[in-house]
Amino acid sequence: MTQTTFIGAILSGLLVLAGAVGILDSGAADVFLEATRPDFQKISLGVVGIQNTGGPDWLGGRIEEVLKKDVKRSLVFDLVDLPSLGIKVREVSNGATAIFKQAADNGVSLLVWGKASLKETGKEADATMEGFVYDSSSDEVVGGKRYAGSPSVLRLMAHRFADELVFRYTGEPGIARTKITYVAGQGSARELFIMDYDGYDPRQLTADGFLNLMPRWSPDRRFIVFTAYRNRNSQDIDMIELATGKRWTLISYGGLNITPALSPDGNFLAFASSYEGNSELYRLDTRTKSVQRLTVNPSGDLSPSWSPTGRELAFTSDRGGGPQIFLMSSDGTNVRRLTFEGDYNAAPAWSPRGNWIAYVCRTPRKEYKLCVMSPDGQKRMQLTTGPGVDDSPSWSPDGRHLVFSSTADGKSHIYMINADGKDLERLTFEGTHNSAPAWSPAS
Amino acid sequence: MGKFMCVAAMILVGGVAVLTASGCGKKSLQSGGEAQSAQQGAMAKGGAGGGGSNGAQSGVGSNFPDTSLQAGGGSGEGLRGLDKNPSEERLGGGTLMAKADSAGSASRQLDDMRAEQAASAAAGLRDVYFGYDSWTISEEGRQALVRDADWLKANPSAAIKIEGHCDERGTTAYNLVLGEKRAKSVRNYLVELGVSANRLSVVSYGKERPFCAEHAESCYQQNRRGHLAVKAGK
Repeated sequence: MTQTTFIGAILSGLLVLAGAVGILDSGAADVFLEATRPDFQKISLGVVGIQNTGGPDWLGGRIEEVLKKDVKRSLVFDLVDLPSLGIKVREVSNGATAIFKQAADNGVSLLVWGKASLKETGKEADATMEGFVYDSSSDEVVGGKRYAGSPSVLRLMAHRFADELVFRYTGEPGIARTKITYVAGQGSARELFIMDYDGYDPRQLTADGFLNLMPRWSPDRRFIVFTAYRNRNSQDIDMIELATGKRWTLISYGGLNITPALSPDGNFLAFASSYEGNSELYRLDTRTKSVQRLTVNPSGDLSPSWSPTGRELAFTSDRGGGPQIFLMSSDGTNVRRLTFEGDYNAAPAWSPRGNWIAYVCRTPRKEYKLCVMSPDGQKRMQLTTGPGVDDSPSWSPDGRHLVFSSTADGKSHIYMINADGKDLERLTFEGTHNSAPAWSPAS
Repeated sequence: MGKFMCVAAMILVGGVAVLTASGCGKKSLQSGGEAQSAQQGAMAKGGAGGGGSNGAQSGVGSNFPDTSLQAGGGSGEGLRGLDKNPSEERLGGGTLMAKADSAGSASRQLDDMRAEQAASAAAGLRDVYFGYDSWTISEEGRQALVRDADWLKANPSAAIKIEGHCDERGTTAYNLVLGEKRAKSVRNYLVELGVSANRLSVVSYGKERPFCAEHAESCYQQNRRGHLAVKAGK
């Protein structure tokens, strides 16, 4: 998985198209554009620097680093290296017209700069950050932000400013303040954790001492739903309210109670249960508390993933032998098989933009890797390659990234990758059995 | 007043609700614990439910909160936009998140597990091993289960938990289904051998509780199993 086969992905996409549709020319252009579109749309942005106006030496530099990584990961901006354009950094203020002209002459659309301070008076500590943006197309300082808070929110200040930039230029809220919930090992137990989207600041959510699996967010980010083994002999589907730590049991049928997923409007919980014999899909109305069975089949049905409209579900089913991805309407009608390539395709995740379904595909070499397929089955790409078991893909709310677990580096850890298979980034370095990541909605 | 400050801090942060001021985080941890035990009591009596189908209401919680997305949320919530003369936004600090369970739970689990392991070791029951992707019991597995059935007949008061396990390959979710298929294969064969089904419970641990941690087939073989455990303290 150290290398992503971008070219290979395009080629396999072409082959699928050529075989399935027989329209090579227009299809090829389509696949190529899908895979690279973020590059074509990027707005060039240079970070002049975050000046340190009081506090430890690392302060400005660290905030600048967080901000630059956020800008880069947004895939909305192309982070320009200003010194390589001959633009001197750390010498700018709202009236620095010379550097603005230099940026405009070099085709840099946006310049960002700011300052930060950290003051300690007795026990109290107060941190500030401010950031401003110059837009060369309108030749003006379009605005800025000023933040204050405790030192513990320094990273959040940079994240929040990055999201304001994304919001300004796309109308989308950005992903820099999003979180990832995941499972990590504690001895032989598995507990739930939540970390920032860039892997920082992991916090423990459960301390049951046994197994907690496959957490998912509610659409308003207030709750986490997951599978818990409360007495080691049976599974429940539980829900925790993050602000209070309150916990409820939603489903406690006998047998498997796994893969819960709340609908985009939060009105339904889709889940798999085996209490009527084998694993079937059900839908709980979270307002009336009534349950509707969605699948009737002697094989295993599991892992429901909602389409962004809430009208359809992708799921795993082993009807017909090995597991494959199927789609159906969210009332259980109109079932059809999506994947036909390979004998093991599972753990579907429908993109929030609706255009891709990511899943775990077993390759001819029996490796478990990430694939994406369009919901019409016309386009397919394998995103990861190499050794290790990849599992549990989950989309960023902007649909531009996936987070997943992999044993590529030995122990299971959490990784991020772009939707086109580029920019693989490892997010966790501590702990064991880091797995089952789920990306929060944006705010 | 303190509560108001917490709420205000959360609104200011505008991000995920895990970011709460430290004071209210601590307080809610306690109230969370109380609410939880009240909830468990309610669950033990069997949750009441609305209409619904399949007569399945006994396994559905009755008092969990509405998870509906409130109208008006969505894009840019919490973001205020860039300003030419920005005023100061104060971000909530001390990002403490409640730990959603009592500290006693983990040690209780550990005690129970040890008791179960001791009882199982004393019984000398044999486990059943499976092929890759398979839940079919091999000839070797059948022989093991014949001996297990003999022990069960000789110890009529013992109840057995059959755990389905998988190797690390494949997805967490599908391995839970596969593990259950393995556990049920074992149960069904024991029933065929004359063991009463109500002495046998099944649970799937998927790939989450491996016996062996190496990334090698020798290890994978060990982990694809139906493990028989004597239920302790029954």
